[in-house]
Amino acid sequence: MASRSNSTSTRSWFPATRDIDAERGILARDRAWHPVGEWRTMSLVDALFGAFTVPFMARALVVMLVLAVVAGIVGVLVNLRGLEFISDGLTHAVFPGLAIGLAVGGTAGLLPGAAIAAMTAAVVLTWLDRAGIASDAAIAIVLTATFSVGVIVVSRGDDYAGELEALLFGRVLTIPPAEVLPLVGVSAVALAAVAVTMKQQLFRAFDARGSRAAGDSASWLDLVLNGAVALVVVAAASTIGTLLVLALLIVPGAVARLATQRLWLLFPVAALFASVAAWLGLAVGFAGSVGAGIDLPAGSTIVAVFVAGYALVLLGRWIADRLGHPRATESGTPPVTASLAATVGEGR
Amino acid sequence: MTESPVLRLEGVAFTHPGGSGVSGLDLEIAPGEAVALIGPNGAGKSTLLMGVLGMVTLTAGRMTVASSEADAATEASTAAAGPRRTHSQDGMIGFLPQAAELDPDFPISLEQVVMQGRYRRLGFLRWPGRADREAVRRALETVGLGDLARRRFGELSGGQRQRGLLARALASEPRLLLLDEPFNGLDQQNRDALIDTVRGLKARGVAVLISTHDLELAKLVCDRVVLVNGTQLAFGPVADVLTLDNVQECFDGVEVELDEHTLVVPGHEGH
Repeated sequence: MASRSNSTSTRSWFPATRDIDAERGILARDRAWHPVGEWRTMSLVDALFGAFTVPFMARALVVMLVLAVVAGIVGVLVNLRGLEFISDGLTHAVFPGLAIGLAVGGTAGLLPGAAIAAMTAAVVLTWLDRAGIASDAAIAIVLTATFSVGVIVVSRGDDYAGELEALLFGRVLTIPPAEVLPLVGVSAVALAAVAVTMKQQLFRAFDARGSRAAGDSASWLDLVLNGAVALVVVAAASTIGTLLVLALLIVPGAVARLATQRLWLLFPVAALFASVAAWLGLAVGFAGSVGAGIDLPAGSTIVAVFVAGYALVLLGRWIADRLGHPRATESGTPPVTASLAATVGEGR
Repeated sequence: MTESPVLRLEGVAFTHPGGSGVSGLDLEIAPGEAVALIGPNGAGKSTLLMGVLGMVTLTAGRMTVASSEADAATEASTAAAGPRRTHSQDGMIGFLPQAAELDPDFPISLEQVVMQGRYRRLGFLRWPGRADREAVRRALETVGLGDLARRRFGELSGGQRQRGLLARALASEPRLLLLDEPFNGLDQQNRDALIDTVRGLKARGVAVLISTHDLELAKLVCDRVVLVNGTQLAFGPVADVLTLDNVQECFDGVEVELDEHTLVVPGHEGH
């Protein structure tokens, strides 16, 4: 792609992929419909809603919302189980799968490649963890090795930098329409796996020994959860990239933990936070890049909004802790819980 | 004891992968009977409980839990076949872990913890129904925590948490209940509540195995005692087993572990 070398202001907003020229065409048409001046003074409504009337933005929004809900719900379990390290491992392990898939089948090979790599990694990591064989160092070494294999595979291609960037940082704005359904499907499988085992996963997270004593298989529960995390990573790898997906898995769960101490509220809170943050992230990126001419990469903008949202909730939590909640002490609920509950709209 | 025992161990050894474990176990627990499992730290009390739950491998002898049976040979074959089926698969065994092991920051309410006792019956696809909520309510009433059902588990006192976990074990409606050091760090009120609960369970025909350092407790609620220290030293009625000689042999003369209770063991009073 010769056009990539003379990079324009929309360069990282449109990560290099084979579809980029088509998407540029869409944008060019859009610019033609709207006078430049109107874009320059993009209103809030335009950024939050109007932006998504453009087909590629609508597609990005649908995919990001599905991903946000699933990652939010799976992320709560990741948080409660303290599986951040294994999640990080899975994000690395998926990379060579993406690279090989791309080398073999083009963009259509991405999803199958990632899925195979992720499920393999989920099985291997679960087994290493359960058997108590691998130290963290060993896992880290294996995963860096797989990552470098991925980079080597990608480097064989003709658009090395572009492909690498797309795999690492995603291509949420240039997802071909045909890939939307497979992404939603992968996310749905992850959600179903977690939903079916939810009670037992929570039991194991709270009391691993009690859960085993009750007859639940720790290995199978771990495999299902790691598999679900792997599938989220697969879905996210094509959208916000393998490096940034960790934010989607970790931040909503952490936010939910700050916002409420009620078990069943954690999941809707995490899913809602992730959805709103994903939507805002896309809108901010669009407004910045197209409206204000500030070049914002989509995936990173979304992650930045996630982290900013976390910071806000952290601040809210701190303030709520300081203020306390006088009514709560009467009803016997501790101040922290009650006041936080109020901020997330939890009913009494 | 005319009824067939709920738990019977015949020449049983439970061994960890590392080789440590507990051996020479010959004991039985009848319905409505409580047995105290006594020994110093590291004597294999927890290993025995884990073994009965199927979480530590049976390497010798024969174990019968109600009607289901496991011996060393079948254990080896199931272990080779993959994830091991535990004997509590059908919810027959209730287990009370030490509350101190659990994360107090975990966002879960007392009634949600107790509901975990019903999960085995519910399986993967069914969600708790009216009968389950009723069982949870009854279990909480039994341990005297009915008013605190919606409290977060981590906000409860150590003794209340322990009783909450007991309620969870009760909600599973077990035939055999295993208690791992249930009286550690309990104040008098919680201790009494727990003792009352164990007595109530016995009256309902539940077999109870209590691992404890507390010889006083063994006298109060237990019918028989098993003394272990790596291997089984004695098993029998409280008065016969808790003699000064036995206890000193079991604890290798480490009386610090025993607090003041060494002075009030039944056998000692006769000397």
